[in-house]
Formats: sequence, structure tokens, C-alpha cells
Amino acid sequence: MAGKSGRTIAHTQNKSLLKRLMCWESMLVILFIIVNIYCSSLSSTYQINNVLREMPKYLTEVFLLLPMAYILVMGDIDISVGSIVCLSATVACILGNKGLPFGLVLLVGLLTGALCGLINGIIVTKFTELPPMIVTLGTQILFRGIAEIALGSGGSISLEHAEGFRMLAGRVGRIPYILFLVLILAVIYIIILSKTTFGRKLYAIGSNKLAAYYAGVKVQKIRLIVFTLTGLMAGLSALFLTALQYGVNTTTASGFEMNAISMAVFGGISTAGGKGRLQGGVIAAFIIISLRVGLGQINLNPQVILIILGALLILAVMAPNIVEQFKLMKKRSSVK
Amino acid sequence: MKNSKSILKKLTASREVSLIIVLVILCVAIGLRSPSFLTLKSIADMFKNNVVTMIMAVGMLGVLLVGGIDISIASTLAFSGMAVGMLLKRGVITSTPLAILIAVGIGLVCGLLVGLVVAKGNVAPIIASMGFMYIYRGLAYVISNNEWASADSLGDFKNFALGKILGINNVVWIMILIYIAFFILMKWTTLGRKLYAVGSNREAAEISGINASNVILFSHTMMGVLAGLCGALAVSIYASAQANMLYGKEMDVIAACVIGGVSMTGGRGSVLGAFLGALILAIIAKALPLVGIEAIAQNTVKGVIILVVIILNVLTQRSMDKNSLKEREL
Repeated sequence: MAGKSGRTIAHTQNKSLLKRLMCWESMLVILFIIVNIYCSSLSSTYQINNVLREMPKYLTEVFLLLPMAYILVMGDIDISVGSIVCLSATVACILGNKGLPFGLVLLVGLLTGALCGLINGIIVTKFTELPPMIVTLGTQILFRGIAEIALGSGGSISLEHAEGFRMLAGRVGRIPYILFLVLILAVIYIIILSKTTFGRKLYAIGSNKLAAYYAGVKVQKIRLIVFTLTGLMAGLSALFLTALQYGVNTTTASGFEMNAISMAVFGGISTAGGKGRLQGGVIAAFIIISLRVGLGQINLNPQVILIILGALLILAVMAPNIVEQFKLMKKRSSVK
Repeated sequence: MKNSKSILKKLTASREVSLIIVLVILCVAIGLRSPSFLTLKSIADMFKNNVVTMIMAVGMLGVLLVGGIDISIASTLAFSGMAVGMLLKRGVITSTPLAILIAVGIGLVCGLLVGLVVAKGNVAPIIASMGFMYIYRGLAYVISNNEWASADSLGDFKNFALGKILGINNVVWIMILIYIAFFILMKWTTLGRKLYAVGSNREAAEISGINASNVILFSHTMMGVLAGLCGALAVSIYASAQANMLYGKEMDVIAACVIGGVSMTGGRGSVLGAFLGALILAIIAKALPLVGIEAIAQNTVKGVIILVVIILNVLTQRSMDKNSLKEREL
């Protein structure tokens, strides 16, 4: 299994500089540059100012990418995150409109997310027979359902006391706060995944749960922590999303889970677990954001952008497999 | 004594029987509170409105059986439905059978592409179908050209879902025929058994001479055909075609299969189970307003039911394993 796509952690150690540069991440960096050149050639309005202005709403998805990468590395999946964002945003919005102190609103919003994540975590760790996909499918419907009840027949709430939230959507100079936060969190998440024992344990779980268990890794405890963390990050995403949209409705953040997963997969993280690096995921996220902003500048229909993203995703995942098959064919013919 | 015990065990062990028991209890409870539920008209309405989920559930069964998943189906449905809607609107076609044929053809190609990427490209099914979910939904928007087909522009086509044969709606007939065909396929054909074989143990199946990747390709293509067909049916049933139609429906279809006892890891599940799962979801949606729960709470109830069903399933499985261990010790 190891080295099937040349993206395992073990295979990148002790290699020459050239080989190190020939990894998936460098391909992504090149792609990032190409995309940016392409976008600026498309439209004269694709400039740093406009990009920074358009970026924040897409950055809320990157909050979800970070823990989702951990979940995928463990070989699990969580498709309820979009609904958790919706529910947390609803709770934060309602409490904010009741006039509660903003600090408390933030705290409750985050805790709502963490609680939802904890529920996911408890179910998947207590009933390990269940694939996380079904569990989070159930909670996906459930969490959004609760948000729908809370939102009432109107189906949407807008912020009345927006002062606190407006602060969240603020910026230093031209750079929005959310970009700082995303970058700082991304660095922390990358370091934890690649440099700490906790990160190593995640890879161990993803490669072989049973072996990890026998090696003394507290598999279920770690899964519980990561699922809860995912909920917490969804809460964080919800707060920023509320601030950027000045409210919440029943379709808020629908499809976020798929966007986060596709960023991670595009970045080289395998859904089968144990493979891939978060660095790739973060670069992939910025490629996708650049494309969306850039193509949005020429007023291309957002749905057409979807087609491009879908095709990119499939090509990115299929490319290493096809290369691998060619190599196999070559080997076989040389043996003959 | 021993005999009766084994019958009881058989009954509780069979997922379909326990589902039927749940269904009967549900129907009686709802019927007692609201007599209008158990009328022929209300049941016929319920079937007609849920034909799409029911038909796609049986296709999803095939995909889940081989250990895959397909989340692109709602997008395939929107694409084929929108194509038919626009063709009718522009007056390119007027005949109903031709419209359905075109929808099925589009579905076939869509499903085939997903299948090729999954089976020949070795891409994880959830990722491949996620990519195509974006692509097909995008294509639906592209061909819609920011328009939608209203009831007027659909002409005779919308009457298809109103027509009846022997007192049963046309679309329900189509569903019944598909279920019969799939029942036969899964139960009595080698292809059906191959689906189970590949899902239970792909390596073993391959060693025994089954071309697993072709079987997987078939399951996705079949799913595409059914999703394409449902596109046409949905346009006829709702008398409109919109690019965002049935957004997120794939999760309902998967939920129906899961409730019906289809395993997400492959190899386990039945046509009857998929049908019963879809039926339970349909009854819940229909019954909530009748028993005084607001429609707004529908998703909450649905989510709770999915979780309860899957957890109960694990618990019964565990106690059964325990019991069989005990028996062995004795």
C-alpha cells in the first residue's frame, strides 16, 4: 500500500532535493501560480484588493478543511459539518438578537458546534460497527432539522445587533481578520499533523486501526477528540459566516462538507486514510478560492465554476492512479 | 419449543420483517389519530410523490452492494430533467416516450462516466461521484440558461404523471415494474449474485473469475439510468423543470437504503429492504402534519429515526452475536 501514489509520509524522508521538489505539493504550488496568472489575464479587476474583498466568504470553508483533513487521515469522514455550521450560526444569531453580550454569543456559538461534534464523536466511537458516513448522514439531517425548527416558518433570521459581528468581519488595513486566523490555524494544524505524536497517531489510525490499537494508541479517544474538534471549528466557521452574511437561513453552509472534502482530496489526502499532507490541502484550498474569485470577476455563472472544480477534482485524483498503472504496465513488459 | 424459538429468532433476525412490523405499527398509530391517512387516495398520493426516491433507492442498493456510493444522482436527475424540460419548452420534441427515452439516455451516459472513473480509474466512489455531482449540477444550470420550464411549456408531458392504468398512476406502474425487474435481477440472475459477491469480498470474487470492475461499472451505470429516468418523472410529477430541483435528494435515497438495512460496506441488503426504507421515509413525511407535528420538524424526526434505526441495528447485532457465542460454549 505504502507509496502507491508516492504521497506517504514515510517516502518523503531522506530524499534528494530534486525528488523532494517533485511532490504533489509543488505541483499544486505551480497550479496555484498558473491559476492566478490565468485569472489576472481574464479580467483586469483580478487584483489584490478585489481578491481580498471577495475572499472571506470562501475562507469560512477552510476552517472546515483543517479538521476534515485529520478526519480523512484517520480514514473517517464527516458529512455533517455543513449542518453544524448552520445550527451554530442559528444559535449565535438568535442569542445575538436577544441582546446578550457578544463574548457570550461567541462562546455559545463555538460550544454549540463542539457539542454537535461531540455527539458525532460519541456515536461513532460507541458504535464502532457503524461507518461514520451513515452516522454523520443522520446527524447532517438532524442538525439542520433542529436549525430549521429554530429558524421558524420564515426560514431565515437577520442580525439586529450586528456591532460585534461586524467586528469579526473587520480588517487590518486591507487584509481581513479571517485571513490571518485561517493562516495561523493552518500553520498550527499542519505542525500538529506532521510534527507531533498526535499527528503520527492519526496516520497510524488511518493506516491500520487494529495495529494502532495494539501499538497502544487510544484509537477511540483520539477519534472522539477529532470529531469534537471538527464541531468546534464548524462553530468558528459559523460565527464568521454569520458576520459576513448578516444573518442565517435554512440553506446556510449547505454543501460545505463536500467543498471541504474536495479541497482535502485535491490536496492529496486520501479518503481511505493514512495518506496525504495538510500542506497540500491548504494550497488546494487557495487554488479553488482563486479560481472562484477570478471566474466570479468575469461574471461567470457560479454553477459553471462548479463544473470546472468537479473536473479538476476528478483529474487530480485520477492522475496518480493512471501514472501508477502505466508504471505497472512498463514493469510487466520489462519482466517479460 | 425449540422450533418456535428458532422461528422467533428468524423473524427478529430478518431486517425486512422487523421493518414491516415497524411499518404496521406506524400505519396503525397514524391511522388511529388521523383516519384520512389510511384512505386509498392518500396512499396513492404518497406513492406518486415518492416515486423518485423509491426508484433511486433500488439503484443505490446496487451501488451500495458492491461497496460503493453515488452522491451524484440528484445532479444527474436535475441534468436529465432539465434537458427534457428545455427540449419540450423549445418544442424540439413533443412525444412523451421520446422525452423519457432521452432522459434515460442522458442518465446512462452520466452513470457510465461515474462508473468508468470509479471502476477503471480506481477513484474512491465518494470522491468520483462528488466530482460528478458538481459537474452534472453545473451542466443542468448551463443548459437551463437561467430559465425554467413551467407547466405551460411542458405540454402533454405533464399529463403523463396524471394518467392512470387500472386505477394506478403511470409513474407508480413504472416504479413497480422496476422493482420487479430488480427483484428478479438480484435474486435469480448471475449478475445479481455477482453484485453481492463483489461487495462481500472483492478479492475472493475476482479469484473466482468475476470481473469486479465490470460489475462495479454496471452498478453505477444502472444507477445513472434510473436517476435519468427519475429526472423525466420528476419533471412530469412536479410539472416544472428547474436546475436546482431535488437538491440534496441523494442523502434521502442513501438514508432510505440505510433504514432498509443495506450495508454501507457492501454485500448486504435486499430490494425489499430498500423499498421498505423508502416507504418508511415517505410515510413519515406524509404523516407528520396529520399527527399534528409541524412540517418544519420533518428533518429533525427523519434524522432521529435514521440514528435510532442504525444504533438499534448495532445493538441487536451485538446481542445476537453474544447469544450465538453462548450457545457455542454450551
